[in-house]
Amino acid sequence: MSNLMRSVLTKRIIQNPLLQYIAVRNHWNKDFKPAKYPETEQEKLAAAKKYYLLPEEYKPYANDGLGQGDYPKLDDGLGVENKDSYYPYDFPEHKRNFNEPLSADYNLYSEDRYSQAEKPRYSSIYYLSCFLGVMTFSFLLYGFLEDKKMFRPVLPKQYPGSGEKHYTFD
Amino acid sequence: MGNAYALYTKPDVTPNPENKPSFDPNFGFEGKPRKERVMIATEAEMVSAMLPLEDRDYCAHKLLKYRACRADVFPWLYKCHHDKHEYLTCEYEDYILRMKEFERERRLLERQKRINKKQAASE
Repeated sequence: MSNLMRSVLTKRIIQNPLLQYIAVRNHWNKDFKPAKYPETEQEKLAAAKKYYLLPEEYKPYANDGLGQGDYPKLDDGLGVENKDSYYPYDFPEHKRNFNEPLSADYNLYSEDRYSQAEKPRYSSIYYLSCFLGVMTFSFLLYGFLEDKKMFRPVLPKQYPGSGEKHYTFD
Repeated sequence: MGNAYALYTKPDVTPNPENKPSFDPNFGFEGKPRKERVMIATEAEMVSAMLPLEDRDYCAHKLLKYRACRADVFPWLYKCHHDKHEYLTCEYEDYILRMKEFERERRLLERQKRINKKQAASE
């Protein structure tokens, strides 16, 4: 934010008591904190509505004392990197829409952090069997060809002094 | 190379390149026996020149001559071109001899097989 914009904003806020109230009384850390873990059905509905989720989509974290409270446990998916780059997002730089629920681990999955680019095309067992198949074939081939080395059509080099006689073809 | 294939498919008539000739060297040369190869360089010379074991073959005397020439005329090594050429020709001919030995072995194996077959048919 440029200094000019900042000074204009400050001026407006000071002049307008309503803006002053919003600026001072909101957006504190406590306002970002999740509420307590929802126990009843009523509380769950309220929490779903608060996080802009359908009631059937809403699923809180386990109440294990880690302080997630009523924050929804979202399917983290494949991270921001895998989101469509051409969709007209409200915030294109984060590929995020206004009021779109965020994963609790959003700071991990943003594009400059943890990359979980794409789902593998085939299952892991398929990849493993491909690898083992190729390696097994290679080793079998290696074993089969072990005693079938290529050579030039010559007999061993003749060295004197071994006691045996060598002859020319003259 | 086709030799490996031949050794695999026809092991009875293809000589193994790691084995020495199995037939009598003078077989078929009864009228005019083959000349024996002569080793000219002596063991003491080769030891003195610290010649590697793989170079102590029937061309060793030419190699010794070439090395001596190099030591004598250094740095005018081009003066040894003749000795070098002689040595390399000797090694080339040694290789040709090995090729001929292989071919002789192969043909004798073929002949042996032919004879055995004829014998088996007549019995």
